[in-house]
Amino acid sequence: MWTIGKLTVKEMISKRIFLITIIMTLIFLALYGTAIYFAGKEGAEAGDGGQGTEAFLMQQFVASQLLGVGLYFSSFITALLAIMSSVSAISGEVSSHQIDTWLMRPISRSQFVLGKFLGLAFLLIAYAISLFFSIIFLHQGIGAEWMALDIEPFQMIKAVSVFAIQPFVLVAFGVLLSTRMTTLNAGIVAIILYGAAFIGGFIEQFGAVVEKTSLVNIGIVMSLVFPIDSMYRKMTILLFDSADNPLSIAQGGMFTSISTPGNIMVWYAVLYGAAAVVFSIYSFKNRDV
Amino acid sequence: MDVIQTKSLTKTYDGKGGISDVTLSVGEGIVYGFLGPNGSGKSTFVRTLLGLLQPTGGEGYILGEPIGTTKSREQVGYLPELFRYPDWLTGKQLLESHAELCKIPARQRSRRIEEVIELVGMAGRETGRISGFSKGMSQRIGLACAILNDPKVIFLDEPTSALDPIGRKDVRDLMVYLRDQGKTVFLNSHLLYEVESVCDNVSIVHQGEIVAQGAWRELMMTEAQVEIVTAGTGAVQFPPFIKSWQKGNEEEGRTRWILQLEDERDIPKILHHLSSGKVDVHEVKPITPHLEDVFMHWVNRKKESAYVDNR
Repeated sequence: MWTIGKLTVKEMISKRIFLITIIMTLIFLALYGTAIYFAGKEGAEAGDGGQGTEAFLMQQFVASQLLGVGLYFSSFITALLAIMSSVSAISGEVSSHQIDTWLMRPISRSQFVLGKFLGLAFLLIAYAISLFFSIIFLHQGIGAEWMALDIEPFQMIKAVSVFAIQPFVLVAFGVLLSTRMTTLNAGIVAIILYGAAFIGGFIEQFGAVVEKTSLVNIGIVMSLVFPIDSMYRKMTILLFDSADNPLSIAQGGMFTSISTPGNIMVWYAVLYGAAAVVFSIYSFKNRDV
Repeated sequence: MDVIQTKSLTKTYDGKGGISDVTLSVGEGIVYGFLGPNGSGKSTFVRTLLGLLQPTGGEGYILGEPIGTTKSREQVGYLPELFRYPDWLTGKQLLESHAELCKIPARQRSRRIEEVIELVGMAGRETGRISGFSKGMSQRIGLACAILNDPKVIFLDEPTSALDPIGRKDVRDLMVYLRDQGKTVFLNSHLLYEVESVCDNVSIVHQGEIVAQGAWRELMMTEAQVEIVTAGTGAVQFPPFIKSWQKGNEEEGRTRWILQLEDERDIPKILHHLSSGKVDVHEVKPITPHLEDVFMHWVNRKKESAYVDNR
């Protein structure tokens, strides 16, 4: 299992797409940092004359929105990377017949699937965590005083833990699909579900703003079908909701959360991912390759 | 002990194709040929034995362990027909990964990898990336993988398909070497000469069924033929146990005959008969049947018996 896991990590790292992803991520971080720098500078200049609650609320709103955008985009590229790398995890090996020489070794099918999952999950979770902290540090550091939000280290740890659930679920789901479908079909199914969850999340937030329960319920159902967007929303709650701050800046806009997923949703997402891994093993156990 | 044993092993796809009702036993320390045309089910049989395909009927054992279990694959090596290896690895890294999967102790790995690289003629090229390997080199590194764990049984599926004549000879020599080491080599091939040159025992498979199996020499004795040159140009009275005869050319007062026999061992009796009839014999030459003829003989025989059974 560990050998397959190690090989999966090595394979991902050796691919050109990995290098391109790293370069593009660095470019994105550079652009984000530049935007934050100027937003912080101009915000500080414009805010010199303003004082009191209104100016404070404006600063908090803009800062949380910009951090929300950065994290949302990070969540998006992590998700795409997780989907693209996991939907071919098994099917790609089967169609190329590379799997033959691995599976004829004295390892079980479940060890193979677990190895693939662990390798991909490790890499994608590491990527997600790195991206999360890069965005936070850029925002809090380069954005300087005007842009900085009151975020405690413990909040960051809680938030990043939930942020990392997204690649965990996506990789588990992608591997499950790849045990039964071709890479293309699995990719289409995963992307559509991700898109539906994404739209469902926005509908839920919009429903909460206009206080329409039916819209909120649609979002909740989508979260149950594919608990990805809800994890992003939960992460923003954990990150922005300062206990010391009576004005919860989590109520900030579409990139943060208005309708708040409960803790049970976090457990649901973890169980969802774990169930997908178990089903992957079961699905691949007796399959012809 | 039988190294490989199957009882009515079947793998079909919705009742069609694949292999049906294959029963065979393969002993230790031999090269066993599994001979058949393309699409006859040879690879399906091996892949079913290795647990890559789930059997739809029957049972099979490798070294006494039921097929499909991890234990049945502990002492096994395999070179697939469609050999594809991760092209981002070097040849050596591929072998290291397989060594790890085979649980070869870390201290022995380097030495064993060097040994197999030497054996398959890849010395000096093992550090290159597989993506840069020719088909022949890939097949050689695949062979190295197959024998890496010093297995007791090695499945080679069309092992010379990508090799040049020198490479083919190397592989044949390797099979003989492995047999001499007490290993069992199960050779899938559609190349009759390949099977003939190294195999002790053979199964002939056609359309997913075994049509004949046994020692290669015995299977070769399908229709014994002998060429005889007699003095004179007149008719000759041949003994009644000869199936048929055909008159060939006449040259310098001699006549060439092709006789079809039931059994090659009848040749001395023919000579005795002819000499008793005062026929001078100048030349006697048993004719070795063409390999294709042997193969077609067994295939046709199976078809005929199936036709009779259906009636």
